[in-house]
Amino acid sequence: MKIEIKGLNLIYRNGNHAVKNITLTVEEGMFGLLGPNGAGKSSLMKVLVALMKPSSGEVLVNGENIQKQRKKLRSYLGYLPQDFRFFTRLKTWEFLDYSGSLAGIKNRKQRLQTVDELLDKVGLLEARDRKANKLSGGMKRRLGIAQALIGDPKIIVVDEPTTGLDPDERIRFRNILSDLSQNDVTIILSTHIVGDISSTCQSMALLNEGKMVYSGSPDDLVKQAEGHVFNLRLTQEEYERVKDDLHIISSIPSEIGWDAQVVADDVSGFDSQIIEPNLEHAYVYYMEHKINGVSINI
Amino acid sequence: MLSIHNIRTVAQYEAKTLRRSWLFRLFSILSLAILTIMNIGLFSPVGDEEWEFLAIPASLPLMNLYILNIAQSLIVIFLASDFLKRDKKLDTNEVLYTRPMSNLEYIFGKSLGILRLFLGVNILILAVCLIVNIISKQAGIDVAAYFEYLFLISIPTLIFSLGFAYILMSVIRNQAITFLLLLGFAALNMFYLYNRMNSFFDYMLFGLPVFKSSLTGFSNMNILLAQRIMYTSLGLVFIFVTILIFKRLPQSKIHRVISVGSLFVFISLTAYSAYYFLDNYYNKRNLKNKVIEINSKYENSDFLKVTDADIEIDYASSEISARASLICLNKHDRAVSEAPFSLNPGLSVKEITVNGSPGTYKQDGHILLVNLDHGLQPDSIVKVSIAYEGAIEEAYCYPWYNEDIKKNPFNIGPLNIDKKQVIQKDEYLLLTPETHWYPVAGLNFYPGSPAKILIDFTNYTLKVKRNNNLVAISQGERTSDENYWYFKNENPLTGISLVEGYYVSDTISVDSTDFIAHYYRGHDYFRDDLNELGDTLANLISGIMTELETNFSTEYPFARLSLVEVPVYFHSIEKKNTQTRAEVQPSMILLPEKLASINESGFQRTIKRQKRRMGRSNQVITDKELQVRAFNNFVRNTFITSSDFSFNRGNTTMVPGRYLLGPSFYFYKNNFYSDEYPVINAVFETHLQKVESPQGGFQRMFLGGLSENDKANTILRDHSMEEILALNPSNDTMRLILTVKGDYLFNLIRAEVGIEEFNTWFSDYIERNKFKNISIKDFSSNLYDNFGFNFEKYLDQWYRGKGQPGFLFSDIAVHEVIIGTRTRYKVSFIACNPEETAGIFNVGFRTGGRGPGGGRGMEGNVSITLSGGGRGNISVGMAGRGMQTNDVEKIVKLEAGQAKKISVILDAQPRGMFVNTLFSVNNPGELQFPLADLVEGETEDNTEGEVILDRIPLLHEENEIIVDNEDPGFRIYQETSSGRLKEWLKIRGDDGNDYSEMFTWWAPEYWQKTVESTYYGKYVKSAVYTRAGSGERHISWITEIKEPGYYDVYTYIGKRGGQRLMIGRGGERRNAMQDLHFSVEHDDGTEEVIVDWENAENGWNHLGSYYLSPDSARVIMTNQSEGRSVTGDAIKWVKQNFYK
Repeated sequence: MKIEIKGLNLIYRNGNHAVKNITLTVEEGMFGLLGPNGAGKSSLMKVLVALMKPSSGEVLVNGENIQKQRKKLRSYLGYLPQDFRFFTRLKTWEFLDYSGSLAGIKNRKQRLQTVDELLDKVGLLEARDRKANKLSGGMKRRLGIAQALIGDPKIIVVDEPTTGLDPDERIRFRNILSDLSQNDVTIILSTHIVGDISSTCQSMALLNEGKMVYSGSPDDLVKQAEGHVFNLRLTQEEYERVKDDLHIISSIPSEIGWDAQVVADDVSGFDSQIIEPNLEHAYVYYMEHKINGVSINI
Repeated sequence: MLSIHNIRTVAQYEAKTLRRSWLFRLFSILSLAILTIMNIGLFSPVGDEEWEFLAIPASLPLMNLYILNIAQSLIVIFLASDFLKRDKKLDTNEVLYTRPMSNLEYIFGKSLGILRLFLGVNILILAVCLIVNIISKQAGIDVAAYFEYLFLISIPTLIFSLGFAYILMSVIRNQAITFLLLLGFAALNMFYLYNRMNSFFDYMLFGLPVFKSSLTGFSNMNILLAQRIMYTSLGLVFIFVTILIFKRLPQSKIHRVISVGSLFVFISLTAYSAYYFLDNYYNKRNLKNKVIEINSKYENSDFLKVTDADIEIDYASSEISARASLICLNKHDRAVSEAPFSLNPGLSVKEITVNGSPGTYKQDGHILLVNLDHGLQPDSIVKVSIAYEGAIEEAYCYPWYNEDIKKNPFNIGPLNIDKKQVIQKDEYLLLTPETHWYPVAGLNFYPGSPAKILIDFTNYTLKVKRNNNLVAISQGERTSDENYWYFKNENPLTGISLVEGYYVSDTISVDSTDFIAHYYRGHDYFRDDLNELGDTLANLISGIMTELETNFSTEYPFARLSLVEVPVYFHSIEKKNTQTRAEVQPSMILLPEKLASINESGFQRTIKRQKRRMGRSNQVITDKELQVRAFNNFVRNTFITSSDFSFNRGNTTMVPGRYLLGPSFYFYKNNFYSDEYPVINAVFETHLQKVESPQGGFQRMFLGGLSENDKANTILRDHSMEEILALNPSNDTMRLILTVKGDYLFNLIRAEVGIEEFNTWFSDYIERNKFKNISIKDFSSNLYDNFGFNFEKYLDQWYRGKGQPGFLFSDIAVHEVIIGTRTRYKVSFIACNPEETAGIFNVGFRTGGRGPGGGRGMEGNVSITLSGGGRGNISVGMAGRGMQTNDVEKIVKLEAGQAKKISVILDAQPRGMFVNTLFSVNNPGELQFPLADLVEGETEDNTEGEVILDRIPLLHEENEIIVDNEDPGFRIYQETSSGRLKEWLKIRGDDGNDYSEMFTWWAPEYWQKTVESTYYGKYVKSAVYTRAGSGERHISWITEIKEPGYYDVYTYIGKRGGQRLMIGRGGERRNAMQDLHFSVEHDDGTEEVIVDWENAENGWNHLGSYYLSPDSARVIMTNQSEGRSVTGDAIKWVKQNFYK
């Protein structure tokens, strides 16, 4: 399904301008929304799932305005909000059953079957009869994705799904999403963790302070960072000198001092080596260099 | 359209969630447990089998749901307000909000979920109730009532509470404040609002009567439905508003339109039902006001006397159509041109004929003014025939009375019952004369003179059109043919009633009177319960009737007595002009279905209990004897001596029972009237009926408050009877005043003409004049002709005069006197009346050994109750009331400022003398003097009678100074503890200023005034008492000493009767009063004196001799004591070596 966001603004009652004039098109497949905390990702997501009304602009799904067709939107929507921790006194399967039933699976037998399939898919079958509230953080997330998937949604919106998950859980989560994106669904994933996007998304947008600063494929974003990522070999003295000025992405102790990966325009004067940027490098380069206009020179 | 699937889903999971909450679990488990225990305890054969509940099957589910509903209306507030809070708090709910359901479906689902759970509990509890109901052998089963109450009580309450909680939570968005507001509203209803405006605010049916009769169903279905629909739809209004303002983007325009539409529909429904309810309420009030207003216009009209009335009536579809043919006599000394009649305002006149020709009339509300063309001359008759139809307007009855279920509750357990004056259902009719269902020449209330009554003794015939299989019941002999029931009366009556229903009857004839029981099939439970009575029944009834006839010194005037079972909610209002209640009609008593609301009507239970008690004390008693006792108790306590008590601020008020047979012995048989003294009939009635004062039995526990006589005398102290009556006092006050004034009047006659002489003559007189109106003038001249006593001249002072006599008694002595060969006893005493109004008092004696029961009181300490001629307890206040006056030895009349020495010779040794001062300033007005220890040697003087003394004896010696607690020299030192909050809430702090009954085991923490004839006092024999302590409260007696010298100081200790002893901590019997601590101030300082109450004299006790200089002298008493309470009364200073 094609989602078109046109000139979208969201201003809260307290005057906070959370989403600023965003225009964006999301095609089928997996779409990543990247940005630091407070960039307006969750607000945008809430507008997309019709939990909030935009102050101006519109969101079209297959050409239809979702504010006018909320029921239609909700009928092919799966949503996992950022906070997904507190449940009523329901068991794991019951929560899914409740969601499934509201998602339109009227046949009880079919619904229970779907519930168990999804529980299996997210690895919660064993926790089927446990109280949802007693699940661990990761399990709750998985239950969240399961409920977002129930009822074969055409659009799945997941907001910061991997926050607080351990690496295993995170990989597992990404795999589930990747699997899904093979089907004819549109998945919008918002995150501030670059790895979530690099491993799954075909296209993405970068949000900062409510504004969209980039949209396109992750590869294009990476390309823009080419020639700006270096591996520096630094003595302890040099390291101490530059660590506050340079954007060090990683640093490993070495024989002479430190091996550090940095994002910068120019690192002349150091023992350096240009390396291939990845999305994380590109994100840092983009956020710090392009947007904030910080020139990283020594 | 609405997705039922969505609603059901939300409901299902909401219910699931709630069911798992501890609050709901606790509520459901507790209510199930408590109500199961209650059901078993009250209704099942293993339990108590409370007859008052079992008699009416609907009361079982009602009792369950009534209690459950109060609890659930509070619990639902918590759960419902939690719902919105939860939605706000739980982030996981957002995923539900993105599902394709509308807000309407979501909130509806939530509400249904909550309702479903609560209804589940309701149904579970009803099921338990039904099981117990089935097991109970005594109760019938009213299956419909189970559903009706669920829909009337639980569902509206739940929907309203739910909606109210939603809306408050949506608007205020703070759960704590929402709780407070909702709980506040619930509490406000339960403590303050539930009785206001006919229970308009009573959303939880805490007070609004919903009792269902097994004869006629609900009493007030329209009103009940209006109120319930109002709260249900208001609840729905709240729910729809919540939907519309719910914080989730709506998804369906149609559903919004539906919500807005429904909102308007339910607002309209709420408004309409509220209007219907209030309209009914205000119409009733307005009608009552209008009746009073119209009555004021006509209260002095020339009403004709209706001598004959032939009434034909057809009752169908809740409407009557009737014709009354009346023969009316003009008893006035002038011609009457317009004959006024009262007819219930719900009935409209179709046609009137006068002497057979079409007549003209005017109508002013319920008053019909029939035009008598050329005027009806004195002592002439006119035939008036009036055709009318319609439905009776109930509010017309008792126009001065507005129902307040809090002040005048009528209930079985906690369940309020409606008070209906008329019942008009498709298959039932109950009309009493109070409704004026036929034209009556008189008013139902005389606003200018509330105690006035006009009574006609009329020869009635009644012809009732047959209606299906309904059986008609009325006064008189009944015959019937295919189309009609006919009733013909042997005697003229004061009014007739008509009851129609599916009745069956049983008759038992005793001493030429037919006792007929009319009841609904299957309601004759007493037949099984009292199956052993058999032939004995006739003897029992005969015995009871004989006793009644002896009591009233007159015969039962009718050929039959019908006992008619009527719906339990038929409940009359106390009248101001007579003691008779509408439940007791001439020759007919209207009893509640299965006798439900009458004590001791559960014969089986009474017998079972008695058996158990007998078993415990190894007594053997036959079933028959037990049944005889149960029957006798029931009859006696219902028809002869029944009364209810209410306690208010330490004083007891008595309300006479509704089924007292007494009226049949006077009110329906005799009538005295006077235009000048309109209360005369009521006064005669109260005196002759001998209504029991609340002083028997358990009353003994509560001594020291004002008796009924004392209350009346207090009221009459500064006002004439006429003045007080014109203020339209409460029924209770009215009855007290009529009683005291009636007792006074009759004893005045007795004092003049002789007790026995008058009684014999009067009994004969009223028998000769039965079913006639006697003017007080005629009565007076008849009295004069027989005894030469001019009674009439006293009436003006009696009615309009102010001032009361006051009696003082002294020099009481008892001497043996030999008359012939027998030793007799002469009691002499001096009585004086220093006041400016003449008065009379009764003297009676208790002689012989100690009788059973109350006799113990006469020894040393005097009890207020005395054992009368072996027939239970009689009280001094009753002495001289009614025609049974053997408790009065002598009636003494004292003119203003007169003193007499009175001597009475008795056959047996007197143990005590009691005096009833009737109408006087004495308080208590019932005085008792122990005589047992006073007998002195023989005397030669065997004269008895009254000797007028030259002057009033000195009240005390010249060398004595007495300060009583009623005197100005007496001071109380106490802090009043009335807080600001109490003030705001208008809770009156007790200050001890009103006389109150004495509770020695739990005395108040302030000095409380109390009266008792053993206390010291000129007229008011009172003392003050308080809880014992460490001396934090004290009282003092102060006087001015004029002459220096040695003084003996005394304190007065009046030992009361009644419960003197209490069980002490160690189990020994102790007196509540122990050591009393006095401080006597004198020239050399202060002397502490301790008086041991138990060993103290009953009277003056010496506190020592002290030298006092001319100055103020003082004695102080504190509440320091080892006992439970302390009492202070009077102090006396007696100058030594006093020579005048």
